[in-house]
Amino acid sequence: MRVRHGEVLLASGFTGIMITLFLALKWAPSVSIDAFASPAAQRIFYWHVPSAWAAFIAFSVLFLGSALWVFKRSAFGWRLHVAGSEASLACGLMAVWSGCVWGAAEWGTPWDWTDVRLNTFGLLTLLALFLVLGRQSQPDGVESRDTFSTFGLYGFVLVPITYIATRIWQIRHPGPVIGGGEESSLSSDMGLVLLLGAISFTILIAGHMVMSARITEYEQRLERLQNKVDGRI
Amino acid sequence: MADTLLELEGVTIRRGIDIVLSNFNLSLKGGQCVILHGENGSGKSTVIEASARLLPMEKGEVRHHLSMVHDHQGRRKSPKFPFGLTLQSNGLVPSQTIQQHLETVCAISQSSCDLTPILESYGLSHRRHDKIAHLSGGQQRKVSVISGLIPAMLSETPRLILLDEPDSGLDDSSIDVLKTHINQLRSAGHGILIATHDERLFECSTSLHDLKKETKNEPESCEPWTHIGNRVKNSFLTTKMGWKYNASTLISIQRNWLASLIVIGALLALVEPLSIDDQQILLMGFVLAPAFTIGLVGDSVTSMLKEQRAIDWWRAQVHSIPNSNVESFLSGIILTIFSMQIFLQTFDWRIILIGGVIGIVTTFCLRFLELSTIRLTRTNAVFIRLLTPILILPWAMVVEYCATL
Repeated sequence: MRVRHGEVLLASGFTGIMITLFLALKWAPSVSIDAFASPAAQRIFYWHVPSAWAAFIAFSVLFLGSALWVFKRSAFGWRLHVAGSEASLACGLMAVWSGCVWGAAEWGTPWDWTDVRLNTFGLLTLLALFLVLGRQSQPDGVESRDTFSTFGLYGFVLVPITYIATRIWQIRHPGPVIGGGEESSLSSDMGLVLLLGAISFTILIAGHMVMSARITEYEQRLERLQNKVDGRI
Repeated sequence: MADTLLELEGVTIRRGIDIVLSNFNLSLKGGQCVILHGENGSGKSTVIEASARLLPMEKGEVRHHLSMVHDHQGRRKSPKFPFGLTLQSNGLVPSQTIQQHLETVCAISQSSCDLTPILESYGLSHRRHDKIAHLSGGQQRKVSVISGLIPAMLSETPRLILLDEPDSGLDDSSIDVLKTHINQLRSAGHGILIATHDERLFECSTSLHDLKKETKNEPESCEPWTHIGNRVKNSFLTTKMGWKYNASTLISIQRNWLASLIVIGALLALVEPLSIDDQQILLMGFVLAPAFTIGLVGDSVTSMLKEQRAIDWWRAQVHSIPNSNVESFLSGIILTIFSMQIFLQTFDWRIILIGGVIGIVTTFCLRFLELSTIRLTRTNAVFIRLLTPILILPWAMVVEYCATL
């Protein structure tokens, strides 16, 4: 029997995320009341941070795929672009949605248009939404691939801006929880759940990308066969 | 020896998923008329559009008058001399009159002339003040063909003319006039490249090209065309044209102003300005919201030019297309004065000026986004406006700054 790597990865990632959720809600230690106005809602960060982490990986894949298409005209690059944009959209929406829920409880508002981190990450998610919806609205061809890949390439500039946003212009979004110096250290139990979440989300999007790339390949093969029937090849 | 007016060297072009033109070479000299013929989908229009710098190339280079105007690395340079272009989809602005459109074509050629004899020859002189939208399909086609011929008709020196299916929709008498004009212009030393199926035009050609091989042909000789134009200097053409398009159609009022006024109305329906006079940032947001809305609606001229692919016609001819920059700035100023009177009951020229700048910058950003998807097959179906929230943060920062003034 042929092993379907995409499905295996997807199922493993999904299971890992469920375990993370369970541990986050039932096992992970509660934070100090002084640290957060709404300590119970803080537990959503075990979902929020890993999904944002996975979104950054997906954006990187999107960038790589876009570059491969633009500079090498690589069909594999285009499949990466498609898979990366879909995974970016899914993870971006998860991070934005969980952030809004957390923000509503913690700050009293789900969104702040003056916060640079929120804006740039929100825009990255909108970019992914534009790429997914836009691609579906156009016939496949070099014109649409060039246009969307160009957006994928230039859009990536927002990733480092988003990453450094809380270090340079911390307005409302908290600073980094990992790699941010003394203030960013987590307890080992919290770190463990967070790590499990990050690994699970990474496996989930890897599975999604494998499956998406396979579907795109089938679509391309179908297109070639249809053209053959039409006598265009 | 006649000048080379057009060269396509090693041009490879993809359209959709197919390569429609592979390593294609073509050279057109003054006094030549090359006719591209062949089956549908063989790449005739692709050659015309590539020559007009409208299509990106996988490989190769396009040269006008021996200077590179477009290459496979995406470099685009404005041609040294204006050229005539008739696109398959006309490339006309339907809300302009025939006279206005042809005057625009003359202005791009830095010339002016009496258009009456040309319009009379195609039976259009009595409709010259009619809007293009009110003409029949055949009449619109005639206007498009005349636009393609005018740059050569106005010029003493050889010019390039690109005509894509010029015969399509023309009656027999108009085809005869077209043949006469093509022969006269060719005899005057202009170079003409035509894509057509119509064998009646074949007799005007010096060679027939089926995109694989070129066959020489002997056209009938005739008296050369005597140029009719006077040199006129035209500066800031695209800005002027944007202003003219707006003034003749009031499209900015209809789209941008209306949206802004509705925003003011909606805000007034929710809040009583005097009741929040202690919340400066909120009030300033209300004052600058109409100027922001002006820009968010987008550049009205760009939307107008999308009809009949007029935007492509403009992109081929000039470096930048007509725009609503001036209108956006003025609209931003006027609407900020208006909203300032409503919400603040004061007058501060600094905030008014900032309102104008918000209008023009936002419009520019929206136009940039729209033009970046212009190559797509269905430009109106693409979700490019999803990216406009990027403008909220800078707008909010400007509002905060204005509240401190």
